[in-house]
Amino acid sequence: MNKKAFLVAEREFMEHLRTKTFWLGIFFFPVLITLSIVIPIWMEENKEARTYAVIDRSGWLLAEVEERAAMPDLAKVFHTALESYRDNDESFSEMPEALRQTAERLVKAIESVEGQALPGVDPDRPLEDQVIDGFATLLTGLSGPEGEKFRQFMPEEAINNLMALRDSVRDWWSELPPEEAAKYGARAKSRYVRIDPETDDIEALNKKITDQELFGYFVIGEDPVGGETELKYVSANLTDTDLLEWFQRLATDSVRERRLEAKEIDKSVAAWVQAPLRFESRMISRAGEEEEVETQDKLRQWAPVAFVYLLWFAVFMNAQMLLTNTVEEKSNRILEVLLSSVSPVELMSGKIAGIAAVGLTMLITWIASFLLAVKYVPKMMGADAPVNLSAIAGDPLYLGSFLVYFLLGYLFFAALLVGIGSVCNSLKEAQNLQQPVVLILIVPIMAMVPIAEDPNSTLAKVMSYIPPFTPFVMMNRAGAPPTTMEYVATTILLVASTAFMLWAAAKVFRIGVLMTGKPPKVSEIVRWIRAPVGMVPERSNE
Amino acid sequence: MENALTLDGVTKRFGTVTAVDNVSLTIPQGTIYGFLGQNGAGKTTTIRMIMSILYPDSGRINVLGQDNAEAVKDRLGYLPEEKGLYKKMTTSEILTYFGRLKGMNARAAKKRGRELLERFGLGEWTDKKNEALSKGMGQKVQVLGTLIHEPELVILDEPFSGLDPVNVESMRDLILEMRDEGRTVIFSTHIMEQAEKICDSIFLIHKGNKVIDGTLAEVKSSGDLGIRLDYDGDGSVLRSLPGVERLNDHGKQAEIFLKEGYDPQETLAQLVGKITIRRFDLREPSLHEIFVRAVGGENAEAGSGEGA
Repeated sequence: MNKKAFLVAEREFMEHLRTKTFWLGIFFFPVLITLSIVIPIWMEENKEARTYAVIDRSGWLLAEVEERAAMPDLAKVFHTALESYRDNDESFSEMPEALRQTAERLVKAIESVEGQALPGVDPDRPLEDQVIDGFATLLTGLSGPEGEKFRQFMPEEAINNLMALRDSVRDWWSELPPEEAAKYGARAKSRYVRIDPETDDIEALNKKITDQELFGYFVIGEDPVGGETELKYVSANLTDTDLLEWFQRLATDSVRERRLEAKEIDKSVAAWVQAPLRFESRMISRAGEEEEVETQDKLRQWAPVAFVYLLWFAVFMNAQMLLTNTVEEKSNRILEVLLSSVSPVELMSGKIAGIAAVGLTMLITWIASFLLAVKYVPKMMGADAPVNLSAIAGDPLYLGSFLVYFLLGYLFFAALLVGIGSVCNSLKEAQNLQQPVVLILIVPIMAMVPIAEDPNSTLAKVMSYIPPFTPFVMMNRAGAPPTTMEYVATTILLVASTAFMLWAAAKVFRIGVLMTGKPPKVSEIVRWIRAPVGMVPERSNE
Repeated sequence: MENALTLDGVTKRFGTVTAVDNVSLTIPQGTIYGFLGQNGAGKTTTIRMIMSILYPDSGRINVLGQDNAEAVKDRLGYLPEEKGLYKKMTTSEILTYFGRLKGMNARAAKKRGRELLERFGLGEWTDKKNEALSKGMGQKVQVLGTLIHEPELVILDEPFSGLDPVNVESMRDLILEMRDEGRTVIFSTHIMEQAEKICDSIFLIHKGNKVIDGTLAEVKSSGDLGIRLDYDGDGSVLRSLPGVERLNDHGKQAEIFLKEGYDPQETLAQLVGKITIRRFDLREPSLHEIFVRAVGGENAEAGSGEGA
């Protein structure tokens, strides 16, 4: 690009820097991505507590449900305490005695078995998690597998040492108000608050619901194990089934255990009977090897769809910007002044480059904010980073091809639209003329889902070789990456056709920008493209 | 003196329409040259070829001693017929931009742009956006844009169109000033009176063909003398005068050319009492008259006063 084209590009870029649209575009995505991370976390953390009551005629189910609810909460509390103990920060000294002791003894217990091959330890899970889960299970007196395994691998002395704290921990736990529980990450306790109804009168309870003192109440009949008994959930809000599902799940677990016992079925037998068949998904990698499909790979298949959307949005928005801008300059009648200083090709390439710079600035901000948001936003909110997003953020296949395909796709459509813009005298004309281009652009969006589902289908492969679709379709297929051959062949085709488009656009631009009157027909434009440089073919309406 | 511009047998066709047909022209340095002709006569096409925005199909154009006009683009200033500015830029910014496009460095262009704005009474508009300017001011800024890089040859396509009398006046001053600074100025117009007032030479083009070309004095002296009449009253009496060869009646002013053997004194005698005569003299034909005669026929109603 020579100096004059650069000047044109610079001006174009600076002018866009001053527009509101540019800054909206710059901030739109970072705000969107931050919100999409923040809102789920925030909603998770700030769900309103559900107050409920239970009329338990069985005499035992409610108590068991409470224990089951407490187990994961206690495990979480111990995790928090352990972390705080390790960091040795101020919050640890503020913790109650019972928790501090638990943390210390847990650390000792973990140290005592660390590095040993012990029966019952799952090698794929962190030892610490297994110890904490085991202890929490024992504390609540449940008979879960975690507790059994824990007894298996942990020396008895360490268990006794820990269990000596049982009463003090449980006392603390039962006294802990729900609002405090949230601080330790105890979700169930902070979210589902059971209150004692002090009455068995259904009428009174219903009134409490209408008075919004209660979110809902459960009625458990005398024999839930038998199955014929009354089970009822009453609430004013039946669309929010969160509380119901939570309680139902815990109650089911308890009842199931009792049913197995009643029929004297061994728990391991029951587990074996109930275990569903799971087909292990494997996919053939490019090297032809079998690979295990991780959850990440599922996302990898669908992440491209998001990228295609963004790519499409960016290409279309920027090419559109170029069109509007060309038409405006033409109707502003500024083009001819410029043409006395720069050649049409310099002018056109300068404009295309200037807006490409605008687009790239925007995309790079997007990508940077994506990377930063994935890395830091969850941390700032004290949550874990979304694993799958970070994996994508670290994969050059996505971000790299995203930038390259933006540039190529933009250039292709920029050539088309700058040509259209140069022959139009008003935005309205331009909008009519660009309709076929918009139709072309809609095709990859419509094909997006089918391609994501089957990235190597014939449809996907064929579309990859059609230059206006190449950037979008290839991006779409990134989940199950096309072969290197395909990348090379489609890119060559795309680059060649983009070069042709730019050449043709330059010829149309040269004639179009000086033209007034009604826009030319397609046949005329073809003649312009074929005419030698400098010759202006006759217009059919003159 | 070296010539600023030479056209040699230049022809330009748009399909089957010949916009400029075999035109040859020599423009010496330091003159104001008027390109005259009706709308669509080929003025703008000729100018665009000089600026190498269009290329001639045949013939040679030599600008400032260069056969390739693109090589001297930076020494030319050009105001196209259709004038516009970037609305969102300030006057100073756009002048700087034009200057830089002509090869000036940013600082020099900015300095000179501000000087020009100050000098031509737009000082207070220096940092205002172009969209805030009135039409006359906008046109002025554009002309300054053609001057910022001190061009040797300035080409102004219809510089007076759409301007009110005050602005016409200041535009004319600007053109004269350019000439005084030694620049060659070419401007096109379809309004003969304007050309008559400031041109050193004129080039008259009609339907793509050169009709007249020369200094204003030469062109004028080639025609016979005519009566110039300023009057009030009913002009229909002029049409019934005997011995009139041609009559250009503008309502308050008329130009009368008599056939051989008719005496202007008799014409005067006939008019006395019928209309109020405020002035009556014998002088060289107006450019309008020259134009009409050269082009011939009533179809050549080149606008007097305001053109379409």
